[in-house]
Amino acid sequence: MSISEDHVGRSYPATAPYEVSRAKIAEFAAALGDGENPAYGGADPIAPPTFAVVLSSAAWDAMFADPELELSLSRTVHVDQRFAWQRPLRSGDEVSATLTIEKVRARGATAIIGISVALATTAGEHLCTATSTLMHTMGDAA
Amino acid sequence: MSTLTGVEVGQQLPGFSRTFTRADLVRYAGASGDFNPIHWSNPAAAALGLPDVIAQGMLTMGTALRVVTDWAGDPARVRSYSVRFTKPVVVPESGGTVVTFAGTVTTVADGVATVSVEALCDGVKVLGAVTAEVDLG
Repeated sequence: MSISEDHVGRSYPATAPYEVSRAKIAEFAAALGDGENPAYGGADPIAPPTFAVVLSSAAWDAMFADPELELSLSRTVHVDQRFAWQRPLRSGDEVSATLTIEKVRARGATAIIGISVALATTAGEHLCTATSTLMHTMGDAA
Repeated sequence: MSTLTGVEVGQQLPGFSRTFTRADLVRYAGASGDFNPIHWSNPAAAALGLPDVIAQGMLTMGTALRVVTDWAGDPARVRSYSVRFTKPVVVPESGGTVVTFAGTVTTVADGVATVSVEALCDGVKVLGAVTAEVDLG
């Protein structure tokens, strides 16, 4: 068994709550070369928009750990990425992420996989949807 | 948040260049949690048939959005952002690799501007279909 159209709609349990901190926001902004942006500093900073990837990529782990799908991160290419925000992530937000498989197109050893990760506060406020297309190639065991 | 006025279709957004070094890739790995060795290990990159270590696609994506956030003033205006990862940015052990970013307003409707961003390395696009929606209100 490996990933197929049958897995469309499968969701995984939400990731453990992650608290967005001022220090992590500053670290991420600096890594983007944007450490001087005042929005990302001060007492109550927002996170750079693409900070959402810290949460969304953590949600990928559950899918890659699903033995039924036989996926490997090292045989995966990230084809595209989209984020849609309800509001920016802020320091103090407690966020968890839930991944759903939205689309699978398997052809031979290659599968094109569409996933959607919903980021929400632990109080249930929706923050961001991160959608990705991945291209996965099965190992050459056969 | 005050209103962004005078935004017109075809308007060019100020661009910039950034040199990506190995140190930048390691820093982004730590900040983002993406520790895939193809972003810091020559043998790991070679094992996948890559010419050298490549930058995280998300690092290029995140850097490209600065064209939009520097122009818009408040990053909270960004409603959506999407890219296709069309070509890897190869980053050698010494020196670095320059990527040039620029943007254009493509539509303005209902208080939202859509901005298209270009990311070029040696004249070749490294990101495709780079689109951000910006709240003007």
